Amino acid sequence: MTTSTTATAPAEPRFRFTRPSPWHLVLIPLTFILLVPLIWMVITSLETEAETRQFPPVLLPASPQWTNYPDALSAAPFLRFMLNSAVVALVVVVANLVLCSLAGYAFARLRFLGRGALFAVLMATLMVPFQVTMIPEFLIVKWVGLNVWDQLGIDHLGALIAPNLATAFGIFLLRQFFLTIPVELEEAARIDGTSRLGVLFKIVLPLSLPAMATLAALTFLDSWNSFLWPLIVINTESNMTLPLGLTTFQGSHATHWELLMAGNVFSLLPMLLVFFAAQRYFVRSVAATGLKG
Amino acid sequence: MASATPTASNAAPPARRTGLLRRFSGSEHAVGWAFVTPATVLIAVFGLLPILWSLLLSFQKSDLLTPETPFVGLDNYKQIPGDATFRLAIEHTIVYTVLFVPATMIVGLLIAAALNRKVRGISIYRTAAYVTMAVSTINEAIIFMWLFEPSFGVVNAVLNGLGLPQGQWLSSPGQALYVIVAMTVWGWTGFAVVIYLAALQGVPKELQEAAAIDGAKPFTIFRTITFPLLSPATLFLAVWLSINALQLFDEVYLTTRGGPLHSTTVVVYYLFDQAFQQFNAGYAAALAYVLFLVILVITFIQFRVGNRFVHYNR
Amino acid sequence: MWRSGRGALAVLVAALLLAVAGCGGGGSSSGKTQITVWEGYTDVEGNAFKKLANEFDASHKGIDVKILETNNDYALQKVLTAVRGGTPPDVAYLYGSWAPNVAKIPSVVDLTSTVKTKAVNWNDFYSGERAVATVNNKVIGMPALVDNLAIVYNKVLFQKAGVAPPTPQWTWDDFRSAAQKLTDAATKQFGTSYPADASEDSVWHWEAMLWEAGGQILNSDNTKAAFDSPAGLKAMTTLKQMAVDDKSVYVDTTNSKYMDLFNAGKIGMLVTGPWDLSSVQVPYGVQIMPAYPGSSAGHQSIAGPDNWVVFNNGSARVAAAKTFVTWLTAAPQVKEFSLATGDLPTRISVGTDPSVIKQMNDKLPGLKVYIHNLSNVKQARPQVPVYPKISEALGNAIVGVLLGKLSPQDALTQASDATNQALSSGS
Repeated sequence: MTTSTTATAPAEPRFRFTRPSPWHLVLIPLTFILLVPLIWMVITSLETEAETRQFPPVLLPASPQWTNYPDALSAAPFLRFMLNSAVVALVVVVANLVLCSLAGYAFARLRFLGRGALFAVLMATLMVPFQVTMIPEFLIVKWVGLNVWDQLGIDHLGALIAPNLATAFGIFLLRQFFLTIPVELEEAARIDGTSRLGVLFKIVLPLSLPAMATLAALTFLDSWNSFLWPLIVINTESNMTLPLGLTTFQGSHATHWELLMAGNVFSLLPMLLVFFAAQRYFVRSVAATGLKG
Repeated sequence: MASATPTASNAAPPARRTGLLRRFSGSEHAVGWAFVTPATVLIAVFGLLPILWSLLLSFQKSDLLTPETPFVGLDNYKQIPGDATFRLAIEHTIVYTVLFVPATMIVGLLIAAALNRKVRGISIYRTAAYVTMAVSTINEAIIFMWLFEPSFGVVNAVLNGLGLPQGQWLSSPGQALYVIVAMTVWGWTGFAVVIYLAALQGVPKELQEAAAIDGAKPFTIFRTITFPLLSPATLFLAVWLSINALQLFDEVYLTTRGGPLHSTTVVVYYLFDQAFQQFNAGYAAALAYVLFLVILVITFIQFRVGNRFVHYNR
Repeated sequence: MWRSGRGALAVLVAALLLAVAGCGGGGSSSGKTQITVWEGYTDVEGNAFKKLANEFDASHKGIDVKILETNNDYALQKVLTAVRGGTPPDVAYLYGSWAPNVAKIPSVVDLTSTVKTKAVNWNDFYSGERAVATVNNKVIGMPALVDNLAIVYNKVLFQKAGVAPPTPQWTWDDFRSAAQKLTDAATKQFGTSYPADASEDSVWHWEAMLWEAGGQILNSDNTKAAFDSPAGLKAMTTLKQMAVDDKSVYVDTTNSKYMDLFNAGKIGMLVTGPWDLSSVQVPYGVQIMPAYPGSSAGHQSIAGPDNWVVFNNGSARVAAAKTFVTWLTAAPQVKEFSLATGDLPTRISVGTDPSVIKQMNDKLPGLKVYIHNLSNVKQARPQVPVYPKISEALGNAIVGVLLGKLSPQDALTQASDATNQALSSGS
């Protein structure tokens, strides 16, 4: 299925079919630079407490302290925090994929009354800093919890989910990608009598898997790392998410860097898994566009 | 832009005029609203309402402590022109944005182009790009504070080794902002890479291959075929990075706290300081609305310019 | 196909939400009064605090204490938002520098009559703590923590440089000349360090020096800046001479490196608080801060006491919360907590107990200097709501001097103008 892309790649004739090594020479140092923070995290997570406070910073711990991981994880109910983070992130990701693709498609393709104005208003919600809207948002969530459904109120995971089910960011991202899809493909299907929804799900989305995967990965990451809003809204330990739990290693005066970094690595793993999962769709869609040609 | 590209046939707008869409335009209003309503309602409640609420706050005197928040009309706004620190904050924010946005996009595009090929283990490289986003800001802050440490940092050691003058970096009012630019470009590169990588998947290989067979140089192919097809993603990045750059906060909070001597005081850091350290929440809301207008204008310009240059398939 | 997908999705979402909903919450049933306490203790302190809370629950059957660990730096944002939402915690740990503003919150419970009771024995708290907990004659909190500043020095570096260790008789001139001798540009070794992020940490170091020079931050009725004085100039000039003329100060503009560098043998001595002792990895000694010769003020230090603040959530919970903080800050609990954590005792009766001092000092050598030093805390920062503005103005003045961008007098004039403006437009 990937024949068209692999067999004919004359764009860079010099590198065709030969060992891919020349590119690795560029990519490996590049990757190394990008990975410095991660490497730093992993190294610090394996140091002794004394090593984390040394200068110059320790580059290779004398003997890796693997026990930092169980120590960090037993400092607080991290599995519970992870479950909470996962529930919040999964619901938010799925909802965003559905709601933002519907809205993004409408903004990209459908001519409806007030389209431009509505898009501008949605974009405007991205332009006021959270520090100012935080308290009103808190009061709204509290009201929703009291009057709509208590599970969406303060100190519930719903309060972390509801405000993020759809984002202007996601709508904007998908709109931009949908606009790059050749409109003729849709028109052919429309002639066959397919509904708009059918066109979106049968034609546009399969061609947009890279964009959908990107949105999923970015939304997951945003939700997973979210700190200030959960800090304000959650008051019960059993409802805490991972970033809140990780502050347990940051005291007022001293930080347990080795434990904090072990916790960070632990928190990073699901994000990497999600991205690896998303990778598949990048490749698949290359095949899809290949088929089209 | 479209003149030399073989995509012109793909992009030709007349297709739309043939009447197919026209015929359904009556119901398009209904379908369009049906599609956008779920997301719109949610964003209206949790995004728009708090913003309008804070607009109200900007006309009040509020310290977040006492329940009395009397309306003071435009008093908060009238204070702004005389606020020298806020003027500085606006200046720093604009300088920061002008440097950060293009730098991130260029670096991101170059890396994405490098990663967009069939090489064994490419998914590992891509994941590496993604990791830069997943790693929390505090890690970046710690590393940059060490790299750019004036007496003992790696950067000065290297400069010294090369016989170049060393900097005071985060300790220098003249240099600190640029260190923050470098730090955030590094932190956001992964984002730009991921977006550009996704967009590159939509660029049909056949076009590039055909051009190559015609003898076009790789750079010419990139400039005339690939880059125009990436333009929707480029507009997206320009807008999104600008919106975020103009609201820079975390990196400043975690490193310089606006210093030394206000040299890295950016707008959102300053309004955070006003709201939660100086207890002037009403004034902070007014500042937020000045920033809002700035962002709005910049975004508007980006879209207008974008509409002229961006290559859409419709 | 997508339709069935959506159905499955809805089921999944509902199932997840229900699964999570089932686990959360918790009521105050069974006739117990539940109170929530928001505090930022972690690690050793966190465990010691949880232990105390459990002891309280066991000995007070009608009250159930629910603890929420929340980072102190973010406590104010969280508390203020909760206050706005009408759902404050019953007790919160809040920084002392916020006290004048916290006092404005209507739901903060006035503890003035509570501290007059015999059970509290208010005068057993150090005067600096009482001063910070009292705003306009109203007690708004119970002392939660007390710190002060002293010299922590690297014994090895002093020996190598042939400098005699600090004595209780040291003046700032002695400090300066020692710092100079400990400085070596070739090996990038600094005599001392100064936290220069313009935060309250930068400011309170200088305020202690100002007091030692015989100066005051504000005038007696808190209406005008008083630090632009000969004493203020003396304190500011000390910083300038060391940082700019001698280059013996590591100016830590991000306030994040001094401890690592001290441990690496790059800094000879620090002026810092007791919380840093547990991080020190080199042979060290502790000595009280130097004085200014000829100043009647003598040796002083500064305390940064923090408070337990009680919020009003109805009379039953207020009563329970008062019972809790009274118990928590009573001598036996203060003693237990200090012994477990190394935090300085907040009560005089505990801080002067020789066995407590000995036990604490055995655990963490040098602590006894800090404990004795509590009696050198003779003054408190002014309790005015615009203090954050004053702190910011002073912070920038200090950093300006340390970086050589401002002369001591210009820095004082600027900060003084800003302070007077804040005070006149104030609260």
